[in-house]
This record gives sequence, C-alpha cells and structure tokens, in this order.
Amino acid sequence: MKPLNYAILKHFTKVKEASTEDVIEALKGKYGNFKALNRKDVLAALMTAEANGLLEETRFGMDEAGTLKIYYRAHKEGADTINKYIKD
Amino acid sequence: MNEGGEVVNASAIAAKKKLSASFFKKGVFVAILSGICYGLYSAFLTLGMTKGVWADWYGVNTAALSVFVITYLLGALGSAVNDTCSAGWALLNVSVKGKLGDFFRTINTTPGRVMILAALIGGPISSTAYVVGLQMAGSIVIPISALCPAIGAILGRVLFKQELNKRMILGIAICVIASFMIGSTSVGGEAKEGMFLGICIAFIAALGWGFEGCVAGYGTSMIDYEIGITIRQTISGLSNLIILVPIFGIISGGGVGLSQDLIVQAFTSGPAMIFFVISGFFALYAYSLWYKGNSMCGAALGMACNGAFSFWGPFFCFIILGVICGIDGWSLPPIVWFAAVLMALGILVIAMNPLDLFRKREDKLYETT
Repeated sequence: MKPLNYAILKHFTKVKEASTEDVIEALKGKYGNFKALNRKDVLAALMTAEANGLLEETRFGMDEAGTLKIYYRAHKEGADTINKYIKD
Repeated sequence: MNEGGEVVNASAIAAKKKLSASFFKKGVFVAILSGICYGLYSAFLTLGMTKGVWADWYGVNTAALSVFVITYLLGALGSAVNDTCSAGWALLNVSVKGKLGDFFRTINTTPGRVMILAALIGGPISSTAYVVGLQMAGSIVIPISALCPAIGAILGRVLFKQELNKRMILGIAICVIASFMIGSTSVGGEAKEGMFLGICIAFIAALGWGFEGCVAGYGTSMIDYEIGITIRQTISGLSNLIILVPIFGIISGGGVGLSQDLIVQAFTSGPAMIFFVISGFFALYAYSLWYKGNSMCGAALGMACNGAFSFWGPFFCFIILGVICGIDGWSLPPIVWFAAVLMALGILVIAMNPLDLFRKREDKLYETT
C-alpha cells in the first residue's frame, strides 16, 4: 500500500484527466478510512502538484450543486517525474 | 457546458479565480507564519538554554566543562533536545490526524530518502558548519545565513525550473541586504585567525539551508507536508543525539561517556525542558510551514517570506527574554526595525510587481466612473 499522496499523484498517470471528486471516488475503496481523503485536502494536494509542475489544469466548471469542479492531468514531463520517484 | 456536464459561466470563472488567488495568498501567509514560528522557537530555545542545568554549564560551570564542550557540544546538544521534542510533537500530530501509517510507508521511498538527505544536510551538517564558522571567524558569519533564500531560489531555478525573473532577483537582493543589516548588528570588531576558512565553512551552512528549503519544498509536492516535517525532525533529532553530540564528545577528549552524561542531564533538567517542549512545538511549525509555503509559492518567494526570521528571531528574543523575563541585552537597535520594513518591501517585490497595486487602483477608478 502506498502513502495516500503518492496514490493521488499516481492516479493521474493512469487516467486522461480527473477532478478532486474523481480522485476520491477512485481511491475510496483502498483509502476510504483515511481522514485526509476529503475534498479540501485532496484539492490542496492537486494544487500543490500543479504549482510544482507535476500536474496541469485541463478545464473547470460549476456542477448542478453549484460546486466548482477543476480537472487536472499529468502532462508527459509530470507523469515521467511521478513515475520516476513513485514506483508501482 | 463542458464535456463533463459542468457549466462554465461567469460565476464559475470568478470562483476559479478566487480559489487560485486564495491558494497563492495562503502560500505567502504560511511562509510568513513559518518565519514568525522560527523566531518564537529561537527565543524559547535560547531561554531554555539559560535554565536548569544549562544555567550551570554556561554560568558557574561546576562540572568544569572545557571551552570546546561549552561552545560546540552544548550548541549541538541544544539543537538535539529541541529537534527531539519537535519530533515528539510531529509524531503526535500525525498520529492524531491518522497519518502515522503513511509516515512509516513514506520513509523507505525515493522522495522519503530525499527528505532524509535534506534533513541531514539542513540539520546536523549545516548547524555544525554554522557553529564551527562562528567559532573560527567570529560573529561576522552571522549575516552569511541571510544568503540562504538567494541560494534556495537559484537551486529552485536550476533543479526544478522554477520561475526566477529580474524582478524576483531584485526582491531577493533587497531581502538579503536587509538580513545582512540585521546580522551586522551582531558583528564585533574582532578579526580572528582562520577567519577566511571560518567564513567558507559558514557558507556551507547557508548552502545547506538553501538546499534543504528548495529540495524539501519540492518534496512536499509529493509527500504530505506534515509527514515530511515528521521525517525531518525525527532524523535531525536522532542524528544530532546519536552521531553529532558523541562526535563532539570524542573530539573534546571526554569520549562518548561525557556526551551520554550531558544528554541525560539535559533531558532530566525539568526547568529547562519546559522551554524545550515549547521551542520544539514552534520548531515543528517553523519547518513544516516553511516546506509547505515553498511548495505552494515556489522556493524564491517561500524562502524570502520565511527569511524574515532574521527579524522575527531578534524580535521575539527581545519580547520573551528582554521584556517578559527582564534579561538585559536583548533590545533591538533602530537599524533592525528599518531592515524589517525593507525586508517586507523585498518580499512584496518578489511576490508581485508593486506597480500593479497602482494599476489595480486605476482599474477600479475606471470601473466606478
């Protein structure tokens, strides 16, 4: 089992793009009991990864509930860096 | 409507802009707060080292410790006790937040090992280089530590391709000059033998701290920052206790036995330990918020905001040791206050083009007319 932050980043090397909610949904099976698997903490992890060039934003919009959803993806360089430091 | 079914309207754009701006502002706030915590931790550490058994070691010295032991070994021991207390706080923090398992899972990974390296370089290696430099060259090395934000910014540019433009370089230069001004108040007129070598050794400390801030800041883009700081304080505390203090014991001629004896006395000195527990608490936030701030707004800005510790350190020593505890010799000369204002200006220049403040004001005026 990987640390939660690693699993969040690694998820982006396996999907085209994902939002905070997508990440939580994908990881809740394995990490459902982790306190840090919540919208606020996962979004902070994604924005930090974006600030450090590991991820980039692809699009955003308001869902029906009026919640802002931001989608991110790992570009080639970001994915390579994630895979270099975080092994499967 | 985008492909996910979400609506991209004016309120979505406004919410997105607000989120991005608040993330950046939070990064700056966190980095500034780290400098304040650094000042508080320095003040309580200094206070702790005047209480209990430390008062005897640095005062009457009934244990007849040599000058070498008092200068080098006790300095390293103070850091070791502080970092060990801080590691205790960090472990408690990750336990309460349910991250203790991730702490153990992170240690033996590549980013975890990089964090350990940063902790060793920034912890015992830089701290020792700084103390040795101080002893060899005198107080002239104190302003050298002011160079670490500049070194961190350059390393961030070279290692991680972080932004470093001319305006940011100007801001960093202003901050370094301001720190230098604060540090210069501690410089005496002495010119010791081996001064040049001492300055070179002190430069290793600045290089190490610059490396730590830049690498550990980037590391926290992968590692949860609270887990990162737990690794840092645990490694720093243990390496100081197990490696550095015994090495100084051996060099002093007292052997490992002397260092063990002093370690036990330090940890069982109740009046001092109260303040080490407090300094360890602030050290936890000084370093964790430093790492977090650097990862949120880049090494250049993060380290400049944190670098204000060169003001917060003397400031909180003045408040806690001077004003509250009534110990003489901690007042701040006017140059320090001036340098603090200059440093705030430098941080502003790194963070943004100050002319934008006027442009925004003009925009608002146009909007209202």
